[in-house]
Amino acid sequence: MQSKSVYKVPNGKLLKIILDYNEKNNFINSVRIAGDFFAYPEESIEFIENELKNALLEREALLKKIRHFVKEHKIQFIGLNAEGLTEGILMCKA
Amino acid sequence: MKEQWRLLQTGFNTASTNMAIDRAVLVANSEGKVPPTVRFYAWKPPAISIGYFQSLAEEIDLDACKTHGVDYVRRITGGGAVFHESELTYSIVIPESHSQIPKNVLESYGRICGAVMKGLSNLGIESKYAPINDIIAYGKKISGNAQTRKARTVLQHGTVLTDVDVDKMFLLLKVPNEKIKDKLIADVKQRVTSVRNILEKDLPFEKIAQAMKAGFEEEFNIELVEGELTEAEIALTQKFEKECFGAKDWNHRR
Repeated sequence: MQSKSVYKVPNGKLLKIILDYNEKNNFINSVRIAGDFFAYPEESIEFIENELKNALLEREALLKKIRHFVKEHKIQFIGLNAEGLTEGILMCKA
Repeated sequence: MKEQWRLLQTGFNTASTNMAIDRAVLVANSEGKVPPTVRFYAWKPPAISIGYFQSLAEEIDLDACKTHGVDYVRRITGGGAVFHESELTYSIVIPESHSQIPKNVLESYGRICGAVMKGLSNLGIESKYAPINDIIAYGKKISGNAQTRKARTVLQHGTVLTDVDVDKMFLLLKVPNEKIKDKLIADVKQRVTSVRNILEKDLPFEKIAQAMKAGFEEEFNIELVEGELTEAEIALTQKFEKECFGAKDWNHRR
């Protein structure tokens, strides 16, 4: 199913997520990460969206995956962080 | 002798041309073909630019833009949607390794905003940097800024609001919740100001540009020398306008 969230990251920017996920097995089909934050390099957001395909829609698993990816690819967020991104995605869950 | 940087005064252009010029200068500077460059410009027709990560359909009422003759474009920088009508827009392009540019992205925002603040001060407006990317005067936002770094080169562009029409802006922008639109408009009116609001008079664009030029020269201890886009930059501008900023694929990609 598809759902949306709007989440103001604490001390950060407004994050808007569009999530498509499988309700039965709780896996992500696709995620679109939008908002007025900054990320360096900018293209990294598309890589994160790809990385999260087929990921389990569960807090610890998502946070670990995002943190690992951000560290590995030396991504710098401004107005966003791994915790905020995880929260925004989870807010889409019914 | 002071280091000389290039000053471009490109006047009014369409949204796609404006964003294509900034990107062309970024490429030319990253290839060592042009010096650090400060540019002042404006938008005709008026336009909304959205941040790289924003969803066009969620941020902009495209029908309203058409009705009001307002253009739109996606930037290569992050940040939020901006209605460009009555403002001076600046951009600065400079190697990441330049001694005047802090390596830390947030610190470099502050440094470049320092030049804009000195420019405002030259107009008699005292202001301060409000992290992440705003400048405020008398408690209200007067400038928004956005930075990208590509090919070890910094591009930061931003606005200096000369006047502000919040009601018109909200005709063009979508809000997440229509029910609270009136409150949002009232809030933004309380939070945004302009050169005109503060000085209670209109200043010609040239005068604001002159003050900003002096502001950049003071902040970075350099001399800005008026120049033109190179032929290669003009060719790159046309390429980026056609393939990127004027293309549906780019503007509607999110």
